[in-house]
Amino acid sequence: MNIPSELRYSTDHEWVRVDGDIVTIGITEYAQDALGDVVFVEMPEPGAAVAVGATFSEVESTKSVSDIYAPVTGSISAVNDALDSQPELLNSDPYGEGWICRITMTDPSELDALMDAEAYRALTEGSS
Amino acid sequence: MTLKRSPLDGQHRALGATMVEFGGWEMPIAYPTGTIEEHLACRNRAVMFDVSHLGTVRVESADAFDTLQATLTNDLGKVGPGRAQYTHLLDANDASVVDDIIVWWHADGVFDVMPNASNTTGVRSAIGGTDTTSSRAVIAVQGPDAKALVSTVFAAAGAVGRFRVESCDWHGAPCTVAGTGYTGEAGIEIAVPADAAASLWSALLDAGVPPAGLGARDTLRLEAALPLHGHELGAGITSLQAGLGWVIAWDKPSFVGRDAALAERERGVSRRLMGIATEGRRPARAGCAVSIDGVAVGEVTSGNFSPVLGHGIALAFLPPQTAIGADVVVDVRGKPLPGVVVETPFVRH
Repeated sequence: MNIPSELRYSTDHEWVRVDGDIVTIGITEYAQDALGDVVFVEMPEPGAAVAVGATFSEVESTKSVSDIYAPVTGSISAVNDALDSQPELLNSDPYGEGWICRITMTDPSELDALMDAEAYRALTEGSS
Repeated sequence: MTLKRSPLDGQHRALGATMVEFGGWEMPIAYPTGTIEEHLACRNRAVMFDVSHLGTVRVESADAFDTLQATLTNDLGKVGPGRAQYTHLLDANDASVVDDIIVWWHADGVFDVMPNASNTTGVRSAIGGTDTTSSRAVIAVQGPDAKALVSTVFAAAGAVGRFRVESCDWHGAPCTVAGTGYTGEAGIEIAVPADAAASLWSALLDAGVPPAGLGARDTLRLEAALPLHGHELGAGITSLQAGLGWVIAWDKPSFVGRDAALAERERGVSRRLMGIATEGRRPARAGCAVSIDGVAVGEVTSGNFSPVLGHGIALAFLPPQTAIGADVVVDVRGKPLPGVVVETPFVRH
């Protein structure tokens, strides 16, 4: 299972890449594998405010729907428009071309609640 | 409850399949190829499914024909030994479809009745017979090239025609092969003795038939608008409501549920299963409400993304007078998803 060491992780199987006060988020390889083939990603509106722990997007696969939760509080600064026509990028490249959106954080201390790669690996191995 | 495992369980795990619970069985939902690729491989070429979770009830006696003919809705008299027939078992009181079944008629007085996994016990109590499910695996090979590819390793099986049933020998293992399936494609289903299943599976893999999971089987049957028990058929749902009146032989003197079915035919159905093409890729799901002109009039029974069409498709119960072409709105967890009522099957092959 690929769990890049430079990212941070939530218990909802999302990853976060931190760049200053902007975070890029997506779902982990573990999450895409559990979901199966992704057929639709509901994108948040650019500029929309999001609160930590609140759902702001949905990922639909051939077998189920999964909510995406905001790992930090802030506003949506960018969305990955490529997912409109190629939602399968979440399966083929979850940490790269399959990123979902970027959030400008208002409280970077919220990042402390996220896991590092080692802790996330322990979580996935404990539940598999 | 311990989940049952297919004789091919080890093959699925070795191939890296994702296993899920289905009707009391642990079965592959997808292989690493993924549901959509498996779906398209079936439409374009051929795939094989392990459908060992389907029940097999062997009914074998001098009066087997009479028992089945007096119980099930379709007219076995229209077919004969060596043929398969799709039929329903109804509830005696309200004509609900207790199960939808394929009957494989082997020879005089010998039938394999194939219920859905979770209905095997109920069907056996209606028709008797012996549950032989655990003695065999069933491999469904489906797709436009299915029979040609099977023929390269198992010539007798590849030659079995549509809705025909034949006994074929796989290196000494007696198989039953039927020209049936659940994808809307040509193909066959092979009941192979459990201890010979792995060798047949491997031979088919080597012949270039990739495996597909139950996820693809579901999206394929939905494109073909084939009913799934528990969704389009089941308690409170009749054959007529599901648009399957042809499965009932109205002129047969008796079958279970005949009076209730006739009464419904007389008064007319209150709802009817119809197809909806939805906008964009977001799938409608079972249980979503369907509205016409702002009024909730029905409910989705199955919905998903159609890999062939590239948009969402759904089956739904709607008022019987609803016209093809009617605009509808599906409520997907509070979000309106526009759609239009269309002819089924959604994908015709």
